[in-house]
Amino acid sequence: MSDLVLVLAVAHRDARQELRSRAVTVATVFFSGITVVILSFALGPDPDDLRRAAPGILWVALAFAGVISAAQSYQNELAEGAFEQLLISPIPRAAIYVGKLLANWLTMFLLGLLLLAAIVILFDLPLGRGGPLLAATLASGTLGFSLIATFYAALTANLRARESLLPVLMFPVVVPVLLAAVRATETLLGPGQATGNPALAGPWLQLLVGFDLAYLVVCTAIFHFVVEE
Amino acid sequence: MAPAIELRSLYRRYGRNFVLADITLTVEAGRTVLLKGANGAGKTTLLRVLATRLRPSRGAGRIFGADLAREAQSVRRRVAYLSVLGGHSPTLTARENLHFAATIYGSPATVVDRSLASVGLGGVGDRTVRTFSSGMKKRLGVARLLLAPSDLWLLDEPYAALDEEGKGLIDDLLTDAQARGKTVIMASHALERCGRFAEATLELEGGRLRRADPEVQHV
Amino acid sequence: MNRAKRPLWLSGLGLATLLLFGTGAVLALTVSPPDVNQGELIRIMYAHVSVAWVCFLAVGISALFGGLYLWRGRAGHDAWAVASAEGALLFAALTIVGGMTYSKPTLGVYWTWDAKLTLTALLLALLVGYFIVRALIDDRERQGRVSAVIMLVVLASLPFNYLAAEWFRTLHPAKSINLDGSGVTMEPAFVRILLFNTAVAVLAFSYFLLERVRLGRLESARQDEAEREGPAGEAVHV
Repeated sequence: MSDLVLVLAVAHRDARQELRSRAVTVATVFFSGITVVILSFALGPDPDDLRRAAPGILWVALAFAGVISAAQSYQNELAEGAFEQLLISPIPRAAIYVGKLLANWLTMFLLGLLLLAAIVILFDLPLGRGGPLLAATLASGTLGFSLIATFYAALTANLRARESLLPVLMFPVVVPVLLAAVRATETLLGPGQATGNPALAGPWLQLLVGFDLAYLVVCTAIFHFVVEE
Repeated sequence: MAPAIELRSLYRRYGRNFVLADITLTVEAGRTVLLKGANGAGKTTLLRVLATRLRPSRGAGRIFGADLAREAQSVRRRVAYLSVLGGHSPTLTARENLHFAATIYGSPATVVDRSLASVGLGGVGDRTVRTFSSGMKKRLGVARLLLAPSDLWLLDEPYAALDEEGKGLIDDLLTDAQARGKTVIMASHALERCGRFAEATLELEGGRLRRADPEVQHV
Repeated sequence: MNRAKRPLWLSGLGLATLLLFGTGAVLALTVSPPDVNQGELIRIMYAHVSVAWVCFLAVGISALFGGLYLWRGRAGHDAWAVASAEGALLFAALTIVGGMTYSKPTLGVYWTWDAKLTLTALLLALLVGYFIVRALIDDRERQGRVSAVIMLVVLASLPFNYLAAEWFRTLHPAKSINLDGSGVTMEPAFVRILLFNTAVAVLAFSYFLLERVRLGRLESARQDEAEREGPAGEAVHV
């Protein structure tokens, strides 16, 4: 019970920190937007091609932005020793991890919604009956990313070359998330939907949920080794 | 009662070199101790080891009987650490920082305003810490120290960056700590000012700790 | 120093490994009959499959010793974990080279998104990350802890990466035969030679592991000695 209070306190604080550094938030949002535009340019002007590629574009842009915002969440409080104070206070390390995870997840989920709306409008995609399932895909997919990003961002926070190291470490782990999220989105959105069947998203969603559960357990259990110096 | 600090042959590496080497130290509860040493002598490292931020590389230590490495959570419940920079989140306001600390330590929210006022920051509680001067950050650090129900205070350069009034605040803080039987370790170059309160002086040199009370040196 | 000398049994193991490796090669290259479907290419399979199995075995061993290190904090466990991780890195690279060698004549391209090959490529990337992080940390204890943590995450990633790679391929069916020959019933002769070669690969890995652990121990013993210099500290009581 009291642990839940601590988790929420950390999450609340992290989310607030993120919102306060408004310039960074704006930069992250625009970065993901620019990624969408660049990927569209790279894929060519054919609207059908773009519609087919839309789910992939969405998740790649989200993945890049997710890495940046997770790394940022530690930089916010490393500079003047706020993280150090957090670590020497009698709060369970797991509560620190889960709290930060919740804040990162929320950020990524909101960014995902924003990007989704942008892509639906940009590529003129039909949003059919798959709405709830699409939200579930977005939620479980961004959770999978945040689990790994929050974990590895703590590990790399005080290492040299952390900017390039974080994606190198985390992307090979989140490949299943990326893949499952893209495929699930594909069945729910875009040209696949006319012929495709939302039920096809089922196995991919199961993979996402399985991934989330497994890493929630693993990362929460061993997080204290990551922040121990 | 277990001593406040009990270190046995403690070593701590920084990178590949030892910053603390073979440190054996006992501090009885209720003492006020001054820790001196040149820049880079390892004062902050020792404080961070005592605060469980850094694990001993070798050897072992106990704080009020709890092992630094294996019972770190029990140690953390009894130790508070005032760092040079203050240790606050720069993007949050002073009050938000203290509220968070109060939640973690399970202190009632009402103490936030009281401790803010007691360090002379009552009027700027809603400003983000980013806009604070280093002296104000230090004061805010003191306010958080007052929030935490701790028995051992680790103060890193408590007088640094403070104006005369602020230094008076630290004086009051130390007087109060002694009256309430808290154990205090302060690392400082302000030898004279700290010396007024210190019951013993320790010196770190080349990673080794020795006693360096002013009287002993005169003899 | 006597400890620095390689023990006789270890040299013996190395020699035996070498001899058995030669035997395995002869078995694979001359004794084994060509396969009905794959022809002479079956000979690559012996090396490729055995190396791949050992690669995943090495990850398991590294994660096991990493876990032990986190639990007990003994430097020796970290030495085993890192030696095994190096083995895994080497065998993963060999597996990929083997897979590509196999893929070119059968499918006409060096790279196919075969599930097991993709899994190994991801594993290779993960292992490279492991060693980059290791190189960036100076403190030995933190190095050991962080390495162990990464290896546990790597281990946990294997089933998910496998599933993802497998399903990825099913949705985009490559014109691929099953690279490990499952589904094709293997002649007992092939199975025997494959098992023999796998045993040799395990032996080679063990030899590498033992030798590397020995070196790691010597290294840390030297560091310990360097650290022990200097006068004893005085006991201070306040």
